[in-house]
Amino acid sequence: MLKDITLGQFFPGRSLLHRTDARIKIILLAVFLVFVLCAKSAAAFTFVAVCTAVLVIISAIPLKTIIKSLKPLMFVLIFTAVINLFFANGEDILLQWKFIKIYREGIENAIKMVVRLTCLVTGTSVLLTYTTSPLDLTDGIERLLTPLKHIGVPVHDFAMMMSIALRFIPTLIEETDKIISAQKARGADFESGNLFSRAKALIPILVPLFVSAYRRAFELAEAMECRCYRSGVGKTRMKVIKTRPADYIFLGISVVCCVGIFFLNQVVIPF
Amino acid sequence: MSLKLENVSVVYGEGTPFRKVALDNINIEFPKGKITGIIGHTGSGKSTLAQLLNGLNKPTSGKIYLDGEDIWVNPKEISKVRFKVGLAFQYPEYQLFEETVGKDIAFGPKNMKLSENEIALRVTEAARMCGIPDDSLDRSPFELSGGQKRRVAIAGVMAMKPKYLVLDEPAAGLDPVGKTDILNGIINYKNETDGTVLLISHSMEDVAKYSDYILVLKEGKVFAQGTVEEIFSNISALADSSLDLPQITRLFHELKKRGLIERDDVYTVKFGEKLLKEKGIGNA
Amino acid sequence: MAFIQTEKLTYNYEGNLVPAVKEVSLSFEKGSYTAIIGHNGSGKSTLAKLLCGIFTPTGGKVFIDGMDSSDEEKQENIREKCGMVFQNPDNQIVSSVVEEDVAFAPENLGVEPKEIRKRVDDALAAVGMTEYAHHSAYKLSGGQKQRVAIAGILAMNPDCIVFDEATAMLDPAGRREISAAMNELNKRGITVITVTHHMNEAAMADRIVVMNKGEVAMDGTPREVFARVDELRSLSLAVPQVTELLYDLGLPEALHASEAADIIQKEIEKKCH
Repeated sequence: MLKDITLGQFFPGRSLLHRTDARIKIILLAVFLVFVLCAKSAAAFTFVAVCTAVLVIISAIPLKTIIKSLKPLMFVLIFTAVINLFFANGEDILLQWKFIKIYREGIENAIKMVVRLTCLVTGTSVLLTYTTSPLDLTDGIERLLTPLKHIGVPVHDFAMMMSIALRFIPTLIEETDKIISAQKARGADFESGNLFSRAKALIPILVPLFVSAYRRAFELAEAMECRCYRSGVGKTRMKVIKTRPADYIFLGISVVCCVGIFFLNQVVIPF
Repeated sequence: MSLKLENVSVVYGEGTPFRKVALDNINIEFPKGKITGIIGHTGSGKSTLAQLLNGLNKPTSGKIYLDGEDIWVNPKEISKVRFKVGLAFQYPEYQLFEETVGKDIAFGPKNMKLSENEIALRVTEAARMCGIPDDSLDRSPFELSGGQKRRVAIAGVMAMKPKYLVLDEPAAGLDPVGKTDILNGIINYKNETDGTVLLISHSMEDVAKYSDYILVLKEGKVFAQGTVEEIFSNISALADSSLDLPQITRLFHELKKRGLIERDDVYTVKFGEKLLKEKGIGNA
Repeated sequence: MAFIQTEKLTYNYEGNLVPAVKEVSLSFEKGSYTAIIGHNGSGKSTLAKLLCGIFTPTGGKVFIDGMDSSDEEKQENIREKCGMVFQNPDNQIVSSVVEEDVAFAPENLGVEPKEIRKRVDDALAAVGMTEYAHHSAYKLSGGQKQRVAIAGILAMNPDCIVFDEATAMLDPAGRREISAAMNELNKRGITVITVTHHMNEAAMADRIVVMNKGEVAMDGTPREVFARVDELRSLSLAVPQVTELLYDLGLPEALHASEAADIIQKEIEKKCH
């Protein structure tokens, strides 16, 4: 069900990752993404997986939550794995049955893709969305992008928009769930028919969802105005963010990890 | 011919630390052609029950019989169950999507693959029952007031002419006029189609006023069930269930406690008036 | 001048022929507790939004603590003085975390971090939500969300809070929570104005203003207003059940069950003698 999607949800806590400066986490995430996408060798992938596991452990987010967050991805994971498994060409044929040929490279690629996707999603959630409250996140983005203010980019508004979007993801997911159930109760059929009729079947979901999102946006704007929102002018923060030595150490370690990947990519370990 | 639940339990998140029993071994048969009010606190399992009855939700264990047949015998045919048991969700106006009121009401009947004539007939019929004027049928549902939108949404469910009509908090958030309009529409439906209505509500006052039978849910269990008279004849139990009793009931409960009056199964102002007049109180 | 004063206040939505609020002159004293009732479309919500300066009048004036709400420069001062709690609990919470949401207004106002911390803690304590400070707002019950919304307004240190059908989407338990919070706020000297269609809630106020077709139809204490049962009925408004009962029996008016029981007891004892 849609309710299982935990994307964009923040889990309050007091772990090391929770306490790290949001700016550092954003940089870290960028570094982490590069590092996951650059991994090629088996050794590098093992290292990526270990790093992700370490991140999960220090985030103190329960493993169950992580697994739950991967559920909606299951289809994509299986799909990529299957594609890689059956359609990769290589030299080492492991299995052959009629026209199906499975190569050692295929299996390797399948595993790599699954590890890569899992690490990408888990890493992003654990590093950023799960452990950073939306306000901290906005603040982090805003501070990182501050230089752009000088060339007229509305950095604060952009950051505020992001944080509100994140705040409303769970609400809108719940709403979508409700609308789907309500239309199903009126006999709507989302499962059968060709592509065109299926797309058409989405109208009874999308129209109410859009109307409701618009209404929410309007009401929220009114409520924000009521609470003296004026787009970042003269704004202070309750929590003063100070980058502590620990943050820099953390950043340092990850940069080292990232560099490590490039070396590990050279190491060939037989699979 | 009835709607019946046998040993039905619903458990969410089985095998996780978030395991929650939403309904715990429920046995009920809803009386045909009557209005049954279902009350309970938030989290008592009312909404879960509603979604069970028309197959949007599957029981973890137990059986639901619709006219003697287990609704989950053939899961592929579950949409047929949805046409027999109509469900109007809480705040149903948020599901409106068509260009005109008429088209929106027609959405359900269209999904039933009825003929054009039959659809048109049902739309006008449902609109009339809910007090939607004919000239509104060509208007956009988004132009209407909150109360009118609600009526359109409920008419959309009624147009499927379900034998069983389940309504989750149909009057929530409406002003007294809007509330009366909606509830009268529901009574019209029951009378004209001889349908069975299940009215889920927080408000003991509304339930007492409009229902024939009452089912009280508490923490996923049936706390009490019976005719309105039966339920109200045991006021002290209800008072203990920490439900909001109608103000008039609380008054008579207090009067009985003070030994001033014999009966406290009072849930309408009219009946209370009658009792007091019999005592010779007030200028009759 | 009273804390909030309106002079021939009129508001016309764009494109509408009939104004939603028509030449309303009312005053609200500091520390008072007023309920505004009326059926849908009576102009009660529009009036509420005018009273805290969200809408600018199209005719007439509103003075909030002596400041004219039409004066653009005063707008922020007015918002700080007079906050509003809206109907839908989900659509007024800005941040996912309770305490961060409560801090939103003082942060916008540029209050010192230490002072914000204090205000947030005080506001959460005032609505009994201290233990939820670090919780995610999305998972709270409706009543709890509304209490967070109240705390968010309280953190501006306002003199007045206007509730626009703030209990309409709540269950009975949630309604009780918010009613209790309103009472508590009023005891602390905050001016409370609540728009509602729950008569039992209106009965808790010190004063009821009944709106009809954009005009004030009745204005008085709950006792005075609910004594006019026929007029209320003609405006298609309900009265508390016990009030209706005693009215129909020709007995003195009462708003609460216990009060009504006293009156009936007296009547029965009179009969016996």
